[in-house]
Amino acid sequence: MSANIQINVHHVTRLEGHGNIVVNIRNGTIEKCQWQVPEAPRFFEAMVRGRRWDDIQTIVSRICGICSITHSLASTKAVEDALGLQVSEQTDMLRILMHYSEQLQSHTLHVGYLVAPDLFGEKSVVPLVGKAPDAVKKIIKAHRIANQWSDLLAGRTTHPVTLTPGGMTKIPTAQELKDLQKTLKEAVPDLVAICEVVHSVADRMPAFERPTEYISLRQDNPPTYTFYHGDIVSSDGYGPVHIRDWESVANEYVSPQSTAKWCRWHRDSYAVGALARFNNNGHLLSPLGKKVADMFGLKKGCCNPFMNNVAQLAEAAHVVEASIELIDKLLTKGLKEEKVKVTPRAGRGSGCVEAPRGILFHTYEFNKKGECIAANICIPTNQNHANIQKDFEKFVPEYMHLGEDGLRHGMEMLVRSYDPCISCSTHMLNVTFVK
Amino acid sequence: MAKETIVIGLGNPLMADEGIGVVLIERLEALAREGKIPGADRIQFYDGGTGGMNLLHVLAGRRKAVLIDCARMGTEPGTIRRFTPDQVQTIKQLAHLSLHEVDILKVLDISRQLGECPEEVVFFGIEPLEICQRIGLSPLLEKQIPYCLHSILRDIAPAL
Repeated sequence: MSANIQINVHHVTRLEGHGNIVVNIRNGTIEKCQWQVPEAPRFFEAMVRGRRWDDIQTIVSRICGICSITHSLASTKAVEDALGLQVSEQTDMLRILMHYSEQLQSHTLHVGYLVAPDLFGEKSVVPLVGKAPDAVKKIIKAHRIANQWSDLLAGRTTHPVTLTPGGMTKIPTAQELKDLQKTLKEAVPDLVAICEVVHSVADRMPAFERPTEYISLRQDNPPTYTFYHGDIVSSDGYGPVHIRDWESVANEYVSPQSTAKWCRWHRDSYAVGALARFNNNGHLLSPLGKKVADMFGLKKGCCNPFMNNVAQLAEAAHVVEASIELIDKLLTKGLKEEKVKVTPRAGRGSGCVEAPRGILFHTYEFNKKGECIAANICIPTNQNHANIQKDFEKFVPEYMHLGEDGLRHGMEMLVRSYDPCISCSTHMLNVTFVK
Repeated sequence: MAKETIVIGLGNPLMADEGIGVVLIERLEALAREGKIPGADRIQFYDGGTGGMNLLHVLAGRRKAVLIDCARMGTEPGTIRRFTPDQVQTIKQLAHLSLHEVDILKVLDISRQLGECPEEVVFFGIEPLEICQRIGLSPLLEKQIPYCLHSILRDIAPAL
């Protein structure tokens, strides 16, 4: 075992935004072990102040280029809560179908493009194209289907244009839904094949465990593996808590090693994401989702953070099956154009949905003209930062025998397993021309 | 059936000049709607947002792709430059291969390996003046929009 280890990973790769890993071990003693978040604040809560109720979704959808549908749904629900708007059953079902598309899109991206290279011993998905072309092609195909699905329901792949408080600005035709359903049915064998490929290298996931409080939505009426409705619950048995009271769950606080706020509820930290949803709702997964979980031996009560990626695969299978069923319901009921009329009023409202990487909260307050006067947004990755730190504190002493490179790689994989999305604000090119 | 040419505007319109690509796409779409772009029925205008691996899918099945983005090129703010992938040494120093910070050249690389990359790929880079949290371009870049549109239209609609 190395007595001295110095790890200073400045910006972990293959995750969203910037996070640093710092570990100092001297003579076998851990002197420093930190998950640092150096991202600049992004001021979205300030940006929406003074904006009208019908501007909010367009602005906050740009918080993220991966889960823009999720941010749009959470903000639209929050605005509807503040303005006292009820949506129709059809709108509700179409939005859930839209949200499922983003779950598949994001999970496929994360497991396929970011986690799989670790398991195959590659630095990125680029060399994987040559090494495992069939698997990569299936991943890309699944991702492409999810993108086209988002296009159909949200109006485009990212930054939706079909959502409006109270309803939808555009709905798909019955034929478009039938075509989508056919595509989803045909996608099932590919999804199973992707899971089998990941399973063939799953023994490279560390068998690391740390008892953790897992927080997610839970919907009891009707019992549903939910991403969209329900109350907040904890795997420690606390809740249900109404989503309007989310601040009493998140308990955000400032940590000196992070520009992002951290969260805790009953323990020093808690985790959100696919594994949290599985631990709280796993018995409600679709048959294929359960089959995938069983394939990897994923069981309720699992506290291995690396298994979050397995839970993501189970959810990818689940959303496809659940959508096939949802489309049947929509077609049976028949689609109809619905008009939305909104009268602004003063009020405060909250919206909550499960982003692919965990529970997401939006709260807004409006004056009587319908202008936003206050906002509070709590993203899933903020809720996971403290838990990543606590995992590090257990992981480092258990895996320091791997030496500097092995420990660093394990810690990077651990961070990536959370599917963090620290920041996604810019996309500027830095160009150097060939002389 | 995918349209022959795709014009992709990249960026975040909440970050001042960083959103120039998206702003230009909106203006191009408006010109197409007004019937001012010859052959516009063969062109898809696409708000690519912060890009990433999603671009892989919109590139597939095209003959030509035009990417418009804010770019630090060491030139005067407001400068627009047209270049092709082979004229660029590195297009993104922070090539982390995250979903957002994915190097567009690597996306093109995967696209080529999959045999679905457009045969012609063109970039338009626009040097920013200000990158900060603000909705709207700097007055300097706002003033440059007609010239930027002219440069891009000369490429995608030579009949103009």
